[in-house]
Amino acid sequence: MLRRINGILEPSLKHIQFKNSQWICVSSTQFKAKSFSTSPPKPEVQVKKNVSKAMKAYLERAREHDEFMKQQTLEFQIGKRHLANMMGENPDTFTQEDVDHAIKYLFPSGLFEKKARPFMRPPEEVFPQRKAAEFDETGRPYHFLFYTGRPNFYKLMHDIVDHINDAYKFEDTMIRKGIKPDPNLALELSGYQWSDKASLEKELVEGIGDKDYEAFIATMERLCDLPYSYRSKDFIFKYRKPLMSHEQTYQAPRPQYDADGRAFITTYECLRKRARGHVTIRAPGTGKITINNEEITYFKDVQPREQMSKDAL
Amino acid sequence: YPSYYIKPVHKKEVQDELAKSGELQKLVHMPTRAALNDQTCSPAQDDLINLFINYIMRDGLKVLARDLVERAFENIKRIQLEKYHKCASEEDKQKIELNPRVIFHQAVENCKPILNLTPIKRGGVRYQVPVPITPKRSQFLSMKWLIAAAKEKDSKVRFHHQLALELIDAANNRGRVVKRKQDLHRQCEANRAYAHYRWS
Repeated sequence: MLRRINGILEPSLKHIQFKNSQWICVSSTQFKAKSFSTSPPKPEVQVKKNVSKAMKAYLERAREHDEFMKQQTLEFQIGKRHLANMMGENPDTFTQEDVDHAIKYLFPSGLFEKKARPFMRPPEEVFPQRKAAEFDETGRPYHFLFYTGRPNFYKLMHDIVDHINDAYKFEDTMIRKGIKPDPNLALELSGYQWSDKASLEKELVEGIGDKDYEAFIATMERLCDLPYSYRSKDFIFKYRKPLMSHEQTYQAPRPQYDADGRAFITTYECLRKRARGHVTIRAPGTGKITINNEEITYFKDVQPREQMSKDAL
Repeated sequence: YPSYYIKPVHKKEVQDELAKSGELQKLVHMPTRAALNDQTCSPAQDDLINLFINYIMRDGLKVLARDLVERAFENIKRIQLEKYHKCASEEDKQKIELNPRVIFHQAVENCKPILNLTPIKRGGVRYQVPVPITPKRSQFLSMKWLIAAAKEKDSKVRFHHQLALELIDAANNRGRVVKRKQDLHRQCEANRAYAHYRWS
């Protein structure tokens, strides 16, 4: 049927300009009325109907998702309180950590894959985030970069460039005054790495290509290299993840005291390759070394003994 | 280990240097590999000697390799002491080096070649072209030649004894290994007309 419509339309196609390039499958009666007129048919009415249908479906989906999330959050809160009751804890002061402990206790699992084990977490972490309605009923998008296809990502790039330009302007004013940048205030970037592609995608709720991610890293590095980048510290550190869990400060173990009043500490499970050992150090010490109730000659070979010696053996 | 794990700095002096220059701060947060069994923080550690022991080692027999090198050093000490006590004047006594490690370092230094010959094919003919080599490569060649020379011996002579003799000779700039290096340099000098074949 569409082909027959095409056949009728061809002579008048030159006069017709459609707003969108989509072919509209309209009933043949309407076209019979218009196909032989020279004036361009008014497509606004038809276009508006179709956009509003798509708009309707879109809004419907966004609303459903919102409602679903609300429902899930409510269920999660109620479930948390039930769980606290079950465990005999105060429901008001029941944190996510306590929830995890409770689930581990109630549903012990021996599965090797930690992600496959049972868990109970707020719905924002469990269900993939979706964007809210991106345009209103008239079809006009809210975000000024909507037509790039990835507004959040490009907005982020623009923000970085804004910060760079700010830093340049500030540097100019400082040079005019004759003040040099303070080296103590410079950014401390060691111990952190840029958030990886997956977490960036999650934050932006958009897919990012590899080249775009590299461009993001390059631009951020450019910002960090500037002398006055410390002014944008908060912005930069939003996208920095700690390298090792050095946020947990190492707490040195407390020494225990034996019958003679001498302090000693035992470290369990010291590993090297397949070897496992427990080491006890006593203070004040005599300098004696005992390994499995033997002297240092427990090591038949000379090489392991060298660590202890000041001179070459 | 995953590729981003860095090698540890096992020497106290190197760590202090890094702390001064400020590099240490960057390395503190990097995931690190475990130190090897022959890397200690003892001040008596010598990385070059450990490398030499590894080159001597065959089939993973580290104990044997270490034993050979220890005996070679002992032999060096004995030979040098003999020379020392046979000396008449004080001046000659001062000149004799008694520390086997110092002799070893000197020997390796004296045997390092600067250029090497590589075969390059031009017009169907393979020319031996003199080519510069990196310091690490030259150090490797020096140690390899020392070991090879120590192996070329009479079957009744022990390897550690021959190695001791080779090291003493090389430290005094004579002997087979230094001759091999000088022959190589002479060949490079002779072939210097082909040097431009490196870039063609």
